[in-house]
Amino acid sequence: MTQNDTYDAIIVGAGHNGLTTGCYLAKAGLRTLIVEKNDWIGGAAVSRSLHDGWTYSNCSYVCSLLRREIVRDLDLPRFGLQVIPYEGGATFTGDGDYFAYMSDHDALRREIARHSPRDVDAYDRFAQTVMRQCRFIRPFLLRNAPDPTSLHPRDLGELAFLVKQAHGLGARELGETIRFWTMSIGDFLDEHFESDLIKAHLAGSGIIGTGLGVYSPGTAYVLLHHYMGDVDGSIGAWGFARGGMGAISNALGQAFAEAGGEIRTGAGIDRFRVRDGKIVGIALENGDTYDAPIVASNMDVKRTFLRHVDRACIPDDFHKAVTRFKIRGSSAKINIALDRMPAFPAAPPNAPFLRGDLHCSTSLAELERGYDDWKDGRWSAEPYFDMLIPSQIDPTMAPAGQHMMTVFVQYAPYDLEVDGVRSGANWTDGARDALADCVYEKMQQAIPDIRDRIVHSEVRTPLDIEREVGLTEGNIFQGELTFDQLLFNRPVPGYADYSTPIDGLYMVGSSSHPGGGVMAAPGANAAREILRRAGRGRKMPRLAS
Amino acid sequence: MSGVFDAVVIGAGHNGLAAAATLARAGMRVLVVERAKTVGGMAKTVDWGAGAKGPEIAHLLYNLSPAVTRDLKLSLDTRSLPTIALSPDGAHAVMDGASLIFAAGGMHPQAADYAALHERLCRFAAFLGQLSDKPPPSLAGGLASLRDIGGMARLGLGLKRMGKADMREFLRVILSNAHDLILDELPDGPIAGALAADAVRGVWAGPRGPGSVFTLLYRMGQGGGAALPIGGIGAVTDALARAATTAGAELRFGAGVASVEVEADTVRGVTLEDGTKIAATAVLSSLAPLPSLHLAGAAHFDVETTRRARKVRAKGTVAKLNIVLKSAPDIPGLTDAQTAGRLIVAPSAAYVESAFNPVKYGAVSKHPVIEAVIPSLTDPSLCDGDRQVLSAVVQYVPHTPEGGWTDAGRAALTRRIIDTLAAYMPGLPELIEGKTLLTPADIEHLTGAPGGHWHHAEMSIDQLLTVRPMNGMARYAFGVSGLYLCGASAHPGGDVTGSPGPNAARRLLQERSA
Repeated sequence: MTQNDTYDAIIVGAGHNGLTTGCYLAKAGLRTLIVEKNDWIGGAAVSRSLHDGWTYSNCSYVCSLLRREIVRDLDLPRFGLQVIPYEGGATFTGDGDYFAYMSDHDALRREIARHSPRDVDAYDRFAQTVMRQCRFIRPFLLRNAPDPTSLHPRDLGELAFLVKQAHGLGARELGETIRFWTMSIGDFLDEHFESDLIKAHLAGSGIIGTGLGVYSPGTAYVLLHHYMGDVDGSIGAWGFARGGMGAISNALGQAFAEAGGEIRTGAGIDRFRVRDGKIVGIALENGDTYDAPIVASNMDVKRTFLRHVDRACIPDDFHKAVTRFKIRGSSAKINIALDRMPAFPAAPPNAPFLRGDLHCSTSLAELERGYDDWKDGRWSAEPYFDMLIPSQIDPTMAPAGQHMMTVFVQYAPYDLEVDGVRSGANWTDGARDALADCVYEKMQQAIPDIRDRIVHSEVRTPLDIEREVGLTEGNIFQGELTFDQLLFNRPVPGYADYSTPIDGLYMVGSSSHPGGGVMAAPGANAAREILRRAGRGRKMPRLAS
Repeated sequence: MSGVFDAVVIGAGHNGLAAAATLARAGMRVLVVERAKTVGGMAKTVDWGAGAKGPEIAHLLYNLSPAVTRDLKLSLDTRSLPTIALSPDGAHAVMDGASLIFAAGGMHPQAADYAALHERLCRFAAFLGQLSDKPPPSLAGGLASLRDIGGMARLGLGLKRMGKADMREFLRVILSNAHDLILDELPDGPIAGALAADAVRGVWAGPRGPGSVFTLLYRMGQGGGAALPIGGIGAVTDALARAATTAGAELRFGAGVASVEVEADTVRGVTLEDGTKIAATAVLSSLAPLPSLHLAGAAHFDVETTRRARKVRAKGTVAKLNIVLKSAPDIPGLTDAQTAGRLIVAPSAAYVESAFNPVKYGAVSKHPVIEAVIPSLTDPSLCDGDRQVLSAVVQYVPHTPEGGWTDAGRAALTRRIIDTLAAYMPGLPELIEGKTLLTPADIEHLTGAPGGHWHHAEMSIDQLLTVRPMNGMARYAFGVSGLYLCGASAHPGGDVTGSPGPNAARRLLQERSA
């Protein structure tokens, strides 16, 4: 028996952006359905119990970018969302030392001085510049990106806002902003610091999730993308969602349900149904069809249009633009159940920085070589990783006395090369194990007995991430964060306002402005556009300052 | 020699000479001081002995500004050269303007896609090219400064005039990378490789690096062709020197500058290395920011300017190999006329990117990217008898490899370049009568260009336009009143464009008339 029903709006994909859009549409009074192919909601913001007693945030793993305006407006804490900030972090060297990042400014200055006295003041200059750029960009996140080719009053208005903000910077800062947005994180750090170790510690944020190296222009912006968030107002801070990243999706899901929305899981889409250039609904893989005059896709732009929309329904130039959209898998993830808190022999006992993000990459050259490996279709021989043990702060993640560790690995290609052939199919179980082994080998710099601590592990290659979450090539941002795919160019020039060539079909995922990360901004911005076009613009709360 | 010059120009490279000619034509009393014995800087024709002359460093013109040629009334005899994309399988291709054919004749399967890409890039390059002959837009007073609103509006209008589709595409690709731009249209191979090589020639970047579309467009600013000056590249600087002296400028050789004299934050002249003092009310330096700052003395600059000048990136990646040959080499698959073209060894964009990898860590490319030309085939006046000169621009070579340059290291690099060329020119090694290798360190030593960098300062977006060479110093005036930058480190940048010099000169003239 196939089902058929009619809604005011349907959203395909229950990732955090789809759920956010759903919340705003439902609250505006639209009868809204969200369909999700997996048996659970959350997309890449999930908490999964894959081993008894342990909870893995098995995709995204820390929280900062989630817009506080949205958290407050949707009252997510009432639905159980609690973000616990963590402090500090460290990079461990191979010779028993480390550089620790601490949020206590004086302690940090002492630690920097231990490695390089001249870098102490340089750090303050660095931090000021990054903070200034954060303050500059944050107001744009919950606004539409202006289309510079358009003379539409709304675009001109957004352009005027941009010019006003830029003008407010003054000549010197405007010049710095141009430089910051276009330079590489490696060059930016080289301009400031002398210590290789400190540079390597700070550089990671510039490459996480991207197909770029630390010396690729544009990576300073990627760093900004990781610094522009906050934990309830503390800009640049990161935190753990209590109960794992799924807590965010679950809170959004409950908010959506309270507003009257319906979610159907285990309901993968077959195709978007289009008639005369206008969306009329969707058809599921199981044969169910649903009708709605508004349909939003939380999937990335490639998956949406190249897999689930009839080629004849979209114009050639749009099809070409989608085809050439760059969405390169570059990251893997390892989630580990630990039998106890591992020992870090280099660190003082119970050092607070162990509760933060831990790394083992000690120079920019090492990071850049990791990128060279990836370009050639191999995972980095010496991978960069961002590892955290959230169970130290959030005891719900592992049984008492035991721990959960999340390890984000950069770089791992989607199309692994074996014998001259590059293909996702080369990700065999053996390749997956070899990747994990390479990571553990390097990790011994920090945790010599890591292999003995592992009770269970889950290794996720870009191919695994694509298969489970649906992200094309396993790209965590639903598309590279390069300028040709940012702002008015994201995802396709001329369609940065969440619309598509198909009337009534919208893009609400991270493929749209302002891009990836568990931010919820694309979802909220898209909801504003959808409601405005549906004549219900007043039902959308004003989130942008 | 007494009296006060209106301007002293440091360096008789093409930009210094173009600046001097512009000032002299406006009635200024101008002196050009040059450390070397002749004009030219990076654009010289030199005598290699044995009856062979050829270019020393730069060898072709890509983007010489027609405005400069016109304003300075230069008469240049040039020949346009086709680009030959050498293919390891012998199926070489000839790229000439928007046309693409196999060297052996016959339709190239990528011809239509290449033509469309070439035309699109030329349109974008022409738009960018308009920016070259004037100072970059000012940031002073923020975006709304009255003085510049006209300039910005004209720019915006220029963009609008492209039409919506082109404007969108321009704004999409302008900060992007050449690798993706090219491979979105063409399969990877010698054509994509030749384009990728053009995008990164002289810069510290691979084709995958964002910003390489900009450097490709920069090179294509005058239509995308390459031209060989008759008499060698030195003919260009000679013509500029003639333009300067005809207008009344003086040139002095063997005259290295020891310091720029500054009193009360104002330039008073220069002191030469031999102690001679020359009084002048303005000094234009064709050197890069840091050496210019050192000549004037860091004490005259604020801390921030000094810090920025120290951080200007200029990591040279180009070596030059000049070879004197007994006779013309045979390149199987090419006609004699094609052999005289611009020969590109870059079998694919991936090859170019791989060649870039080692230089990041201070090593030489295993398989270098080469742009070679045999100018004497087009211009027989350069050589006696059957002799020929082959000029090869080679990437990527670090300024200083780990452990420094040794004789063995130089010999190994020379051999690697010759082996790479010999794959296409089988008899090459037997034809060699003499050869001269210039590493980036040698180029720095010869010309003073920091890092031996082709463009004096990296051509990355964060060092271009309104922030070239550094934020706050983009409009030629350089810290001290009366001191100006007029070389490749200033807007619009490197290559033999002739643009930075006259732009700087006009800035001085404007300030004097204000």
